[in-house]
Amino acid sequence: MNLLQGTLDLLILRTLQAGPLHGWAISDRIQQVSEDVLQVNQGSLYPALYRLENQRWIKAEWGISELGRRARFYHLTASGRKQLGVETADWTRLTGAIGKILEQA
Amino acid sequence: MEQDLDEELAFHIEMQTRRNRALGMDSEQARRSAQVQFGANTAAVKEYCRDVRSLVWLEQLWQDLRYACRGLVRSPGFAFLAVFALALGIGVNTTLFSTYNAVALKPLPVADPGHVVRFERWTESHATGNFQYGFSWPEYVYCRDHADQFASLVAASRTFIALASTPGSAATEQRTGQLVSANYFADLGIPLTMGRGFFPGEDSTPGGNPVVVIAYRFWQRSFAGDPKILGRTIQLNSAPFTVVGVTPEDFTGTTLDVVVPDFEAPLSMQAQLLPGQDWLNRPEQQHFQIFARLKPSAIRPAAQTQADLLVRQFGTTWTARDRTVAVTLQRTTYFPNTDDVRFRALMAAVMLMVGLVLLVACANVGNMLLARGAARQREINTRMALGAGRPRILRQLLSESILLALLGGLAGLLFSIWTTKLLGLALARNAALIGGDFSAVNLAPDFHVLVYVLGIALISGILFGLSPALQLTRRDLTAALKDNAEFVGNPGGSKLRNLLVAAQVGFSVLLLATAGLLARGLVRARAADPEFETRTVFTIDANFDDMTGDPVKGITRRQRLADKLRERPEFSAVALGSRPFAGTWTPPIVVGGALGRTLASYASNNYFETLGIPLLRGRFFTDREARGKSPFAVISESTARRFWPGGDALGRTFALDMNFNGTLRDFEVIGIVKDVRFANLTRPDPAHVYLPPALDVPAWVDLLVRVPGDRERALAAVASVVAASDQKLLPGLHLVNLDDGAVRLQRSMSHEFAMLAAILAILALALAVVGIYGVISYLVSRRTRDIGVRMALGADSPALWKDVILDGLRPALAGMVCGAAAAACLSTLLHRTLIFPGSMDFLYGVPFYDPVTFAGLAAFVPFVAALASAIPARRALRVDPAVALRHD
Repeated sequence: MNLLQGTLDLLILRTLQAGPLHGWAISDRIQQVSEDVLQVNQGSLYPALYRLENQRWIKAEWGISELGRRARFYHLTASGRKQLGVETADWTRLTGAIGKILEQA
Repeated sequence: MEQDLDEELAFHIEMQTRRNRALGMDSEQARRSAQVQFGANTAAVKEYCRDVRSLVWLEQLWQDLRYACRGLVRSPGFAFLAVFALALGIGVNTTLFSTYNAVALKPLPVADPGHVVRFERWTESHATGNFQYGFSWPEYVYCRDHADQFASLVAASRTFIALASTPGSAATEQRTGQLVSANYFADLGIPLTMGRGFFPGEDSTPGGNPVVVIAYRFWQRSFAGDPKILGRTIQLNSAPFTVVGVTPEDFTGTTLDVVVPDFEAPLSMQAQLLPGQDWLNRPEQQHFQIFARLKPSAIRPAAQTQADLLVRQFGTTWTARDRTVAVTLQRTTYFPNTDDVRFRALMAAVMLMVGLVLLVACANVGNMLLARGAARQREINTRMALGAGRPRILRQLLSESILLALLGGLAGLLFSIWTTKLLGLALARNAALIGGDFSAVNLAPDFHVLVYVLGIALISGILFGLSPALQLTRRDLTAALKDNAEFVGNPGGSKLRNLLVAAQVGFSVLLLATAGLLARGLVRARAADPEFETRTVFTIDANFDDMTGDPVKGITRRQRLADKLRERPEFSAVALGSRPFAGTWTPPIVVGGALGRTLASYASNNYFETLGIPLLRGRFFTDREARGKSPFAVISESTARRFWPGGDALGRTFALDMNFNGTLRDFEVIGIVKDVRFANLTRPDPAHVYLPPALDVPAWVDLLVRVPGDRERALAAVASVVAASDQKLLPGLHLVNLDDGAVRLQRSMSHEFAMLAAILAILALALAVVGIYGVISYLVSRRTRDIGVRMALGADSPALWKDVILDGLRPALAGMVCGAAAAACLSTLLHRTLIFPGSMDFLYGVPFYDPVTFAGLAAFVPFVAALASAIPARRALRVDPAVALRHD
């Protein structure tokens, strides 16, 4: 299923709320939690990560992965946490509105 | 950054491969699947990732610059020529701008100059000039007492000459002085090297505070930098003054002229310094500039409104000859009157010249880039075929030209620091000849200059880089892939290239022709002689009309002194009349119904004897005629030829509109004298009539004496005669040698002008050779392969020679014709100005279609073009066709 424009950022931020993850783990987790409904196209994952990093919402640091190899781990920054709040609220409002239209219109 | 990204993506694929294997794929399949899952190819992902980074453009710029650097290092010859050409072009422009900046943009050397302004007056007659900055002391007092928008108002007078001497020494020197209000140093914030400025109130009691602040130079020259100068007494125009301070070495003063006053005195001492004059009580005595320091909170328009209102209010209390209609506040710069039409015209003319040099340099480099680009065409085509965007490649090509331009700008800046110093020295020498002092002006480059250099470097970079870059990236892909022919074979490109070569040659020729004509003037300038006596002739300057500007008073007083001087043996001739080289007066002349213009000046009976202008026919004025209002005139031979061609001018009459108001006055020709260079050294006066000094119209008449012997003895004789007869003339009395002042200034100015022309000519020559040779020879060398093919096919070398050389010559000749035509137009334009009898002839009589200059050009340009084609062509012809075919 294709992701709605802009929702990937929200999903990444939400996924990172639990703690630092590397790129592959982020995509894997999104896929798992959505029970394979959402598959992140890796071609858009990394540009999104760089974009978020540029916005200072997430930060990346080199660490050692579970396999003992160097990997870049991303974690939320304070402003990223705030942004997650804003985007979650927006999302809820939007889906609520769409839901109402689907029910009543 | 790049490696990080690689590693991160590799890690991702690795993890995915593991997962795939865990799901039961074999390792090869797992890997491929992981890569497929990755979506698009990794390169594209990387490209995207790179693009989202905000610093990506910076990184690309850095990449481009590195690439450009490598390119330049690989062809040092090209880089050197290009940077050299640009450095010349940018250097001469920056030199001019630095000087302009120093005199017209840099603020005066006062504290917080942004808040200091100068009052400027606008009058009913719309007249402009330095008088616009003159205000009377009563006007100043009125403004000072009623204004609340200003932190303070400062008055500083125009400069005057005073005789200075130190007690115990007989030597008397001429020194320039200035009267100022007591707050001058304190409120303008001028620091002193030693001592103090004036105390508040030191300007209030007339004659009460004989104190003086002297200039650093005066201190060094006349007192040998005496450390105990403070407290010493000096005599200024016979009044004793105590030195209380010394201004800093780099203080350029706040005057309107190129003069640093030797001393400042409180204005209450006016009567002592300038006896017989009253600068402090009469509103028509407008001798003071008013400087205002704005309150930090003040709004400029409000301050201006107030200044305007106050001066005009004061204007209602008396009747002025030319009513003030407005007062504006002007920022303070070294030259106050920068919106003066003549100043602007001069700047525009010089800027045009040096701008042309830069244009030629840009055309040169543009051409070289285009020629060089031909070699890179395939590389560019390949990159474009592989998907690099045109903007990306454009950016890369432009960064190369901008890098070149910046290097050129840097070299030009360094070059200009040196040349500006030279120009400053030349200006200082000229200023010294007219009693000015330019040496303290700070010509060092400041922020403005740096911005200017950066600006013109970037503009030139884009100017010479854009069109080659557009040309090189224009071609469509299919043609590019097929193509491995040279760029020169491309008809579109060759048209542009020919156009550029032609344009470049055209500009070079225009510059060369102009500079060549001016440089030819140099030779003539050296030989230029006024053709009358100047070395032994002096004018006696003193305050003959009490600064009232009353001509009658001035003339009669001079006549009285002249009569007394005639009795002294120190003078072989004494005369009244116009001073040569002191400006021109060219009234309309009517001869038998025909209207024209002529130079005119005044002459007493022995004026011609004094200046040594020989009489050809007729007679001079008699003493009676020279003193009365007589209708007789002496004319120059060229006047006679011009207005009475073929006939005899003696006894004929003409009419002059002396006041430019239509009232004609008749004169009868009684004598014809030899032609001289009276108005300026550049050419003999085209028409000149001499009239007896008229008493009923304003006449600028000077007292001229011829001194065969010692100058000092002559000055002593004048001083003793004046002391015995007209004491009030003593202050400010001095002798000016005609050769010292006017002639030498004109001669040195014309020398410098010709030097400038010669420098421009050399620049133009260097640029033209570099440009024409660089481009044509490169293009011919690119044809080695073409030549090889034709030789392999059996073409004979004479035919090839002819072909190659004609190809190079054609655009060069077209450009030369255009450039020569433009130069001829410019010549005609210059020639037009000569119709006016008072105008300067910068060419010293070199004809405008000077055959030497134009013939020289006609031989020189084709020669360079042919040489530029021949040398590489020779190399190409000698090459073995087999090698040539492989040549790429």
